[in-house]
Amino acid sequence: MKLKTLQFGEIEFSDDLIIEFKDGILGFEDLKRYVMITEEEGIFYWLTAVDEPEIVFPLFPISSLKEDYPQKDDYEVFGIVRLAKEPEDITINLKAPIYINQAGKSGFQKILDTEKYPVDYNLFVEKTEE
Amino acid sequence: MLILSRKKNEKIRIGTDIVVQVLSISDSQVKIGIDAPSSVKILRDEIYEDVKKHTIEATIQSKEKPAPDLSELVVNKLNKGK
Repeated sequence: MKLKTLQFGEIEFSDDLIIEFKDGILGFEDLKRYVMITEEEGIFYWLTAVDEPEIVFPLFPISSLKEDYPQKDDYEVFGIVRLAKEPEDITINLKAPIYINQAGKSGFQKILDTEKYPVDYNLFVEKTEE
Repeated sequence: MLILSRKKNEKIRIGTDIVVQVLSISDSQVKIGIDAPSSVKILRDEIYEDVKKHTIEATIQSKEKPAPDLSELVVNKLNKGK
């Protein structure tokens, strides 16, 4: 399949890389099919809607942030990242994580109704802070 | 919006599979119980709105694909006894 993306131009990939989100993603419930695009030097995964390629969710693996974050067997857990011009303003959603099973080609979003995890957590801090 | 008045313990049925019950009433708070199939997602509305807002902003910002200068920054680990 070929897709025209804003960030990466036209891309081509095998259809068996398509990940199904049975219930879509909150706010975009009608979009059920996605591909994960990664760059060699990049730190984010770009979850791109196959049926509407302008809709892209930058993802970051939450395991790098918190070891005991809720896991699910066979799935990797990511947070949707809201990018910004200033890196200190970049936030990640820890309240509504995205679970992806790439081998099984399925993914889903879970909402954690707990104060422990905010919707807009600062992804980066300055190195000098201990 | 459909508006109904219910007394404590009374119920409302939505569609065929969803039942909402008033469990307790106090001055400032109502405790509500909801019986629904697991396929129906139930959320405090402010969480739904907050998540939706952040997600929409994320898709808008993704178009910029900034390449932040991360040399002075580290990932903000959550393990500090929080």
